Amino acid sequence: MPSTPPTLPPTAAVLPAAMALALAALSVATTANLQHLAWWCLPLCLLAVGWRLSVGRHLRRLPGRAVRLILVALLTLTVIVNLRSLSGLAVWATLLVAMCTAKLLEARTPRDWYLLCGAALYLLLAACLDREQLWRLPIYVAGLWLVIGALHGLGSGGGAPPALELLRRAGRSLLLALPLALVLFVCFPRLPGAFWALPTTEQAVTGLGDEMSPGSISRLFESDEPAFRVRFDDALPPPEQRYWRGPVLHDFDGYTWRRRGGGFNGAPELQYLGPAYHYQITLEPNDHNTIIALEMPDSPSLPFTYFTGDEQLIATRPSGAARNYTLTSYPLARNSAPLSVAARQIDLALPANRNPRSLALALTLRRDASSDQEYVAAVIRYLRAGGFHYTLTPPRLSLNSVDDFLFDTREGFCGHFASAFATLMRAGGVPARVVTGYQGGEWNRFGQYLSVRQSQAHAWTEVWLEPRGWVRIDPTAIVAPQRLTSGIFDLLGSALSPTERILREAPWIGNLIAGWEALSAWWQDDVVGFGFLRQMNLLERLGLNSADWRALPALLAAGGSLWLLWMLWILRHEWRSAAPDRLARAWLRLGAKLAHAGLGRHANEGPLAYGERCAAQRPLLAESLRALARQYAELRYGPPSATAKVRAFARAVREFRIA
Amino acid sequence: MRLRERIAERVAGWARRRQGDEQLPLELQSRRLYILPTRFGLGIGALLLIMMLAGLNYANSLALLLTFTVGSVVLASMHECHRTLRGLIVAEATVGECFAGGTGWLELQLQNSAAAPRRSLRLRSAGGAAVGLDLPSAADVSAKLAVAAQQRGRQALPRLELASTAPFGLFRAWTWLHLGSSFIVYPAPLGRRTLPERSGGRSGLGSPQGAGEHEWVALRRFQTGDSPQRVAWKLVARGAPPMVAQYAGDPGDRHVLRYNELPHLSTEERLSQLALWVLECERRGESYSLQLPHLSLPLGCGARQRRAALEALALFVAA
Repeated sequence: MPSTPPTLPPTAAVLPAAMALALAALSVATTANLQHLAWWCLPLCLLAVGWRLSVGRHLRRLPGRAVRLILVALLTLTVIVNLRSLSGLAVWATLLVAMCTAKLLEARTPRDWYLLCGAALYLLLAACLDREQLWRLPIYVAGLWLVIGALHGLGSGGGAPPALELLRRAGRSLLLALPLALVLFVCFPRLPGAFWALPTTEQAVTGLGDEMSPGSISRLFESDEPAFRVRFDDALPPPEQRYWRGPVLHDFDGYTWRRRGGGFNGAPELQYLGPAYHYQITLEPNDHNTIIALEMPDSPSLPFTYFTGDEQLIATRPSGAARNYTLTSYPLARNSAPLSVAARQIDLALPANRNPRSLALALTLRRDASSDQEYVAAVIRYLRAGGFHYTLTPPRLSLNSVDDFLFDTREGFCGHFASAFATLMRAGGVPARVVTGYQGGEWNRFGQYLSVRQSQAHAWTEVWLEPRGWVRIDPTAIVAPQRLTSGIFDLLGSALSPTERILREAPWIGNLIAGWEALSAWWQDDVVGFGFLRQMNLLERLGLNSADWRALPALLAAGGSLWLLWMLWILRHEWRSAAPDRLARAWLRLGAKLAHAGLGRHANEGPLAYGERCAAQRPLLAESLRALARQYAELRYGPPSATAKVRAFARAVREFRIA
Repeated sequence: MRLRERIAERVAGWARRRQGDEQLPLELQSRRLYILPTRFGLGIGALLLIMMLAGLNYANSLALLLTFTVGSVVLASMHECHRTLRGLIVAEATVGECFAGGTGWLELQLQNSAAAPRRSLRLRSAGGAAVGLDLPSAADVSAKLAVAAQQRGRQALPRLELASTAPFGLFRAWTWLHLGSSFIVYPAPLGRRTLPERSGGRSGLGSPQGAGEHEWVALRRFQTGDSPQRVAWKLVARGAPPMVAQYAGDPGDRHVLRYNELPHLSTEERLSQLALWVLECERRGESYSLQLPHLSLPLGCGARQRRAALEALALFVAA
């Protein structure tokens, strides 16, 4: 297809260093969006950037109009094809990357490059809106830095500073701006809620889920990521009471335990006994919509949350971001309201034709027990004496998972024990349910909070015993009591992986990790989580009335003015009159000496003419005066000379005397 | 477009009344500096607004932090842009020799006494010519700007605009310089190149007739405009500064250029012809005198003579 080579107007020259920085900024901004862009975006962007860098300043090699139009059409089509697999924000980001790639093929004028810088900023914004973890901060800062550097390059006039110099200037700009940015961040009024919402992204994160199939897992707890953090107002509950309640599973098909859609409407009737614990939880993003709470939470007044009859806190809105909430819990609370017939049926249901040997065992044990309590005690005795082992690498089980576990393999983790215990209970006529959640938590001394990881996910059971109501029984604790008090690694010394062994032998690495986690927690809580409520809290802590809308603008104005003064002072310092150099000082000194003798320099007199005039008036000093003037003229206007010469001149001036 | 120009004109007029004429040297102070965002500045302003709305809507702290950081950088750049011009000293403005219909070069001496460089400056005359400048720290720079010379005579210096878009090109700070001074436009040198008939005897301007034809009477310092043929190269070869021989009694290199001897031409044509002759005499290094109705310039040659002659022609007023 013929295309005329485009010509470039002579004035529109963009600095190569500015182009390079803008291209780098675009690459970094695209990389920051990697997690939600279409897969072809980053390779395409890097390809275009690399090509553009190789073309350099030979703009005549840019493709013609027809090629560009076809490319834009193709890219748009690709985005449309990808539309279904992308979420709202990602569609725009993908489209933006595609358009930037097309723009790279024709970017010539400063306007084009300003546009690309703006696009890079917008991509950074999209990345920020999507992910806010601390470890991403360096990527965002690098992208921003490069954009500012590119802007410096676009704005630089005649000189052609190299990219490093542009980055230095950009760093200075950022440092100068940072205080105001912080003032704005803290004081700019936030909104209590969104006024317009895009559909949020669905995220799959390991950890608790809506169902549990112990038999399908041959290796558990691969994730050591933090699940949530808890800050207690006062004392911590004792370790054996640290049960963090999550999804409650009712339905069992012999292999898998599942949550139940309905049937437990209405808040539970709890008797709040024993000590109360006030705490604040920061829950990392997850894919179960349960609000994790210490057993048993007070009926909370959290927004968009309801309390189910089986004591689950359910969030009505899924959230891709971390949640932050404050609760009060009573570990010794009881639910002794009578069990309804429907609920009893649900928690006694067992699949027919599954796990026959377990059902037979239950019937045998039940026959010997006179009451429900005795039956529970008998099953506990059976588990304790049955030669069961706790392991994280259990064998896989068949569809009769409980039979396989109880009679053949006899090893498993919390899920196996809970599943088997609940099955035996139901078979013996005692209503039982499986509760999943977390157990334990480790104290982070840097951040002063309790950190609970995905690896501390746990499953236990609750049985209905008249007249006490629902009673928690943790079968894992019966078989491996150490599991609750000590870390999982202590229990399984032989099963440690190499990395785990290193962690145990070098505690400083653990400290480092704890420190990093504390820092991340601070980032999550105080920076990312700094919203409307935190702002109001801050105002109250400063002694200002948060209801007074004028407080924030006043703070903003005060902080902004302080910044302005500071910045103007810095600028003033930078633009102060340059101190005369050593040479100039020496020359001024000579002039002062001569002026003292009545031989002041005229304003329009050059050094040589001045020396000549002085020599003429003082014949005795003529030689040295001419020599000094000549020396000065040479040093000042000649080619750059060594400092030794300047020093010699300064010495000669010092020694010069007018007799 | 016309509306825009009219507004620009009104604003410029207002600035002129407000500032008055400049006295050089002039240190630029805040009072006379103006600043507005460029179209890129407006663009990034719109972008920042969108970014802030998005950050507020989603209550996303990181997005807000990004927005506020970029906004602060832009705001600081506004002050820096202003600072780029503030304190700059306009020391001197001179216009070199120029002829009507040609281009004069306005030379503006700018002094930066600050320790920081002043970048991305742009000097523009109201006529339209523009030149970009970068002033290093603590340095003097002279900027040359083309000024259209329209007709002979005194011409006021055009309004100058000294602007800076440092550091990002998002803001443009500028000042208007109304230099009250004027410069002289010489008549365009036009006509025939051959000089008028030698006129030594008739002129009566008293040349020593008895002296030898090529006998030099004096040596004087070389001045710009002297003919190289007259330089005493032998002396130069011996290390002396270049000197120019002044001959006496050479009727061939003495010309009297008379306004009244060109009756067939109009006033402007006469002046143009005389200007050409002055240049021609200077080129040859021959002495000449100029006779205008109200002014006569004695015999001479060299830069001073040339300037006096051309100025006289430029400022000639027909009786």
